[in-house]
Amino acid sequence: MAAPAARVTVRGKYATTYVALGLLLFVALIASAGVGAFSFTPATMARYIAQGLGWSRAADADALARNVFLQLRLPRVFVGALTGAVLGVSGALMQGLFRNPIVEPGLAGTSAGAALGASLVFVLGGGSVLAFTRPLGTLAVPVLAFIGGFGATLIVYRVSTSFGKVNVFTLLLAGIAVNAVCTAGTGFLSYIARDPQARNIIFWNLGTFTTADWRGVELIGVVFAICFAGVMRYEKALNSLMLGEDAAAMLGFDPARLILRLLVLNTLMVAVATAMVGVIAFVGLVVPHILRMWRSSDYRFLIPASALLGAALMEIVDVIARIVIAPAELPIGIITAVVGAPIFLWILLRERWQGSAAFYG
Amino acid sequence: MVELRDVSYRVGDATILRDVRVRFEAGRMNVVLGPNGAGKSTLLRIATGLAHPSSGKVMYDDRTLASFDHQALARRRAVLSQHVELAFPLEVADVVMMGRYPHFGRVPTARDRDVVHEALALVGMLERAAQPYPTLSGGEQQKVQLARVLAQIWSTDANEAQPPRYLFLDEPTTNLDVHYQLHVLSIARTLVNQHTTLIAILHDLNIAFQFGDHFVLLDRGGVAFEAGSAREMPMDVLERVFDVRARAITDAVSGEVLWRFELRR
Repeated sequence: MAAPAARVTVRGKYATTYVALGLLLFVALIASAGVGAFSFTPATMARYIAQGLGWSRAADADALARNVFLQLRLPRVFVGALTGAVLGVSGALMQGLFRNPIVEPGLAGTSAGAALGASLVFVLGGGSVLAFTRPLGTLAVPVLAFIGGFGATLIVYRVSTSFGKVNVFTLLLAGIAVNAVCTAGTGFLSYIARDPQARNIIFWNLGTFTTADWRGVELIGVVFAICFAGVMRYEKALNSLMLGEDAAAMLGFDPARLILRLLVLNTLMVAVATAMVGVIAFVGLVVPHILRMWRSSDYRFLIPASALLGAALMEIVDVIARIVIAPAELPIGIITAVVGAPIFLWILLRERWQGSAAFYG
Repeated sequence: MVELRDVSYRVGDATILRDVRVRFEAGRMNVVLGPNGAGKSTLLRIATGLAHPSSGKVMYDDRTLASFDHQALARRRAVLSQHVELAFPLEVADVVMMGRYPHFGRVPTARDRDVVHEALALVGMLERAAQPYPTLSGGEQQKVQLARVLAQIWSTDANEAQPPRYLFLDEPTTNLDVHYQLHVLSIARTLVNQHTTLIAILHDLNIAFQFGDHFVLLDRGGVAFEAGSAREMPMDVLERVFDVRARAITDAVSGEVLWRFELRR
């Protein structure tokens, strides 16, 4: 027996994995920035970026292409990557909170609740019902998305947890119920809405990056940075929650406070991302699952790695969305559902074959 | 020393514990006995701080439990439960390292890694350090959990002056075969020293009398009897509390008293 793993630090242990994920993300970003109705070579992109930053003088001949790249393509790439990172981290986080590998923001009601909150503003934002949101300006959408997402997630968590244990069947049923109510609400709103609002809601319910702009990059970037830094502080606590709430408490963590704080951070990220790009399912499920199978469920690894892989996967999906039915685009959510749902079923079957006790709670 | 001063615990109309007054001294193996529903687990939850008494106080060496900081307490008090499930697969060493979480910030120190190493060695699981925890047998998992709990309150030198430690074992041998039962409890025995207060809930009376130094017998939320050895435990009290017939048998080799129980007709 060589020196046991106990003597290796976590960061060192996963260094090569981080490098691999970083490279994957880098390649995915370049591909996503280059592919589409306008395509750009890396050299052109570098030139446009230099010009955009004022480092070199712009040639008027390619003003249109440069504007497409700087004002449409780049913000879209960044919003996509940040959304992927948000969903990846959120999936890992929620699986830790619910102590179950099948939970993700789409299942636990977070996305649907956020979507309902955002739709309220879309459709009724100008009316007297939501007059109180007017001082929030453009932040009204993310704020109501947060309220909706937090409420939905809290209901699912409370219903599925008894005596500090999560019951997976109750969790699934509560998720179905809460999702149904939220989807019905969003459906009702799009029914009473006039075109083009209604069309927007439907399209946005399937997830889309087409509306991305630099303001959006700033908002989701700042929120992700804050939430990610917050979540990193709770990596040890998330690990100890794997042993159950009592064991976590005996290790000096306060489970009730911990869970509330993580739910707030999680919902904040997901709500802002959902308000901006709509509902994108299964990314939060698939990303942590790949990492758990590939390397480890240790949250000190899983949180940063989920951010990297989530961002990379989202870029790959966005590239697919842009080329499958070019010159038109597929909504993002359709692709993630088509790819993600079979993986979800496969996890369910695998867990059933293994009869994992933790899974069935 | 852990002391419960007139501790009562009520849930709604039900009284789970009634005016329990008991002292668990350091330097000996304190064993809590009692039939199902006597309040053993509740007593342990209150003594560890997982639940708060409806009335009365819990004292750790003359300081109230409520006055401790969570993190500071976690460096000195650890609890081994009956069966700990791990929601996701981790390596054995990573599970034991959780015991060191109260001691380091983001990155474990060299000492934390040494302690994990020593704790795994103590329970005889060192060669499994890099193995995924779910692949272990139930008995091996329980030994890894014991290592985690020991790593949490690890002290290098038993003779050195140091803050007292508190170790609680909640039916640590349930689901274990006889070999693992004896192994886990003999490891626990080696921890008995003047700095450590050790309290164990045990179900098997013969195992309890074999390893324990001091016995607290709970019955319907109160202390029915306290004894310093198996011989001091009165047969009629045991029979009444557990609702069985008991016979003491003296082991011809060691001279120790063993018990044989039968249902009452």
